[in-house]
Amino acid sequence: MKRLVVLMIVVGLVVAAAVAATFGSAAPSQGASQQAKLPPKPKLPPLPAAVKARGKWQIGVKCDTPPFGWQDTSGRNRGYDVEVARQFAKWAFGSASKVDFTCVTTASRIGTLTSGRVDIIISTLTWTADREKVIDYSVPYYNAAGRLLVPNSVTVGKLATWMPGKKLVSTSGSIYDRWIKNCFKNTSFQVVSSPAAGVLAVKNGQADAMMYDDAFLVGVAANDSSLKLASNVFLKVPWGVGIRKDEADMKRWVDASVRGMRARDMFWSILKRTIPRRFWRGFKVNAPSPKIKLQYPRASPPENNCPS
Amino acid sequence: MPLVPDWFRPVAEYMLREGLPETLRLAAIALVASTAIGLVLGTLMTIRFFPLRWLIRFYVEVWRGLPILVTVLFIYWLPAFDVGTFHVQLNAYQSAALALSLWGSAQVAEATRGAVKSIPKEQHEAAAALGFGWIGRHRFVILPQATRRLLPPMVGLLVNIIQNTTIAFAIGVNEFLQAGQRQFENITSGFAGPTAPSYAPFMIFGFAMLVFFLISFPLTRLSAYLEKRLA
Amino acid sequence: MFDRPVHILASFDWSFFWDTRGAFWDGFKNTIKAGVVGILLAYLIGLVLGAVRAQRIPGLNQLAATYVEVIRNTPILVQIFFLFYGLPVLGIHLEPFTVAWLSITIWGGAFMTENFRAGFEAVPERLREAGYALGFTPLKAFLNVTLPIGGRIALPSTINTSISVLKNTSLLLLIGYPELTYVANSIQSNTFIVFETFTALAVYYLAIVWTLSALIRFLEARLALPEAL
Repeated sequence: MKRLVVLMIVVGLVVAAAVAATFGSAAPSQGASQQAKLPPKPKLPPLPAAVKARGKWQIGVKCDTPPFGWQDTSGRNRGYDVEVARQFAKWAFGSASKVDFTCVTTASRIGTLTSGRVDIIISTLTWTADREKVIDYSVPYYNAAGRLLVPNSVTVGKLATWMPGKKLVSTSGSIYDRWIKNCFKNTSFQVVSSPAAGVLAVKNGQADAMMYDDAFLVGVAANDSSLKLASNVFLKVPWGVGIRKDEADMKRWVDASVRGMRARDMFWSILKRTIPRRFWRGFKVNAPSPKIKLQYPRASPPENNCPS
Repeated sequence: MPLVPDWFRPVAEYMLREGLPETLRLAAIALVASTAIGLVLGTLMTIRFFPLRWLIRFYVEVWRGLPILVTVLFIYWLPAFDVGTFHVQLNAYQSAALALSLWGSAQVAEATRGAVKSIPKEQHEAAAALGFGWIGRHRFVILPQATRRLLPPMVGLLVNIIQNTTIAFAIGVNEFLQAGQRQFENITSGFAGPTAPSYAPFMIFGFAMLVFFLISFPLTRLSAYLEKRLA
Repeated sequence: MFDRPVHILASFDWSFFWDTRGAFWDGFKNTIKAGVVGILLAYLIGLVLGAVRAQRIPGLNQLAATYVEVIRNTPILVQIFFLFYGLPVLGIHLEPFTVAWLSITIWGGAFMTENFRAGFEAVPERLREAGYALGFTPLKAFLNVTLPIGGRIALPSTINTSISVLKNTSLLLLIGYPELTYVANSIQSNTFIVFETFTALAVYYLAIVWTLSALIRFLEARLALPEAL
């Protein structure tokens, strides 16, 4: 009898240890108990027929905008957007390699999508009301804000007072392109072909400031001791996956995947994989997660909101 | 300072490994297509059938008149269309190849027309006297002589095509210059790749110029040599 | 099979041409600005260096030859980027307009040098000897005999080079110079109207190049040398 009790206790301890080990190895973040309940892959609507027939995705991503879309010296596409694309490939076809990337720029991404060259675009695509007239957006997958990159010696203060008479750079077709043309008619705006060209313009004094997404500029400012970010934060608008209009099945699939990734806190993991550790604290709030839900400012489109 | 700085080595290797083959392949396709189409069109232009002449003349003037960049952009952004069951939509690489071929064929057509016209009338008459028809005359007498005169400018055209592949940069083809530009952007933005000194642009674009020069210069010399030998 | 192209033509937004005429006009003005400056300066460079090459002035001849060979054997786009990204490293900060005309000038100048060199060298030797017989110094002989005649021999090739310089302004969009192609790209990326934009661009360039060519052929006919020299 005594031996049976001892045996039961030992078995119970072993089982408890096993259970503790299983639960303990889950990521120790908020919603850990929630995650342990979710299956690794959500229940997704059927994949759009064209993609299914092809057996792989064709996705447009940036190749000139670290840390979201860039190419390393071995020619591999990397970045936050690229990781999202790879996750779509994994859930659609079981392998992260079942995706062909097409490089797009800010200026060419919407044309590339509407002309049918790619299935969807995951390319730092900020939501704007104007763009939504031409393409559909998925639910948001990243939150970005606009910042100004300036030389260390410059103090900006209020945008409305500082901007007139200055020369700004950004990429063609970006939300900043639109916003400056709408709201700062006395600011001269120079378009550059890539974000890096904009950085150089500020460094070389060809422009007073570069207006671009915070995540990109933060890295630049951190690496360059002669440049800094002005404290102004504006145009805080999420990004979405770009989908062609009248493709409801595509939108359903993408939305379900983004929601699934959000519920499993996958965006935070992707962020940790793609940006250096010292920026994690600042950018954690930008990634959707079980605690953070992003929404498009449909009620008041930001590119029409001019600061006073 | 080491001959090749640490940060530059992977950049140069990336450019040579990923970009240069694209450039050379693009140039090869464009050269073959230009020659094939251009020789035919140029010879046809010498026929005294005016509608055909005008049609080919129009073709030549359009593709020579447009800047190649505009041709590339126009072709790339053409809406897709369906031919039977084929969905025709050119990707960036194909658009660049087509644009270069259209331009190149117009150049070759014009040069061929000039070369064929430069063959003296006596050759035509002699061939006709020997019983050759139009096709036979051109095949056995006129074109062999004309193509000899074409050789120097054709080598020159190859050089031009190689240079002009860089235009494909504008639609994102990962040719040699684009490869350098991509790494240059990674370096500048600080997130990706090693940090590089401020003279990085010199090295990257200077390297690009050097490689193109090393490819083109021997060909240019060859063209000049052929001109002396064959003219 | 052909229904799609017909459909495109039918749905073509013709009002696009009218609506965007202002933007394209600004682009056209910038194309002409950079183009004209580039062409004129290239002619200047070509004349001077072509003379240097034809007269084989020692030292300068080799320098000019190096310049010509480097420029002719490298793509113009790489030259443009080299200048645009490289000069600021040297502390030379130029506006896009300056880099624009400078890069096409350097490119055009190399080709013009070859054009003029060939023209000067094609002047029959006996004409120059006639000049010497008249008591001309080599310099005067060059200015009064070789230059006018060689220059006109070189006219067709220099005209072709000028038109190429003008067409190459299209590449300047990549350094942010707001010429015609830049305008088209800007319109496309902000309005998402793609096909009409690039069709308009192609039409405008053809109009410019064909008009210029026709004008110049006309001038060339007036200025042509008599057959027998």
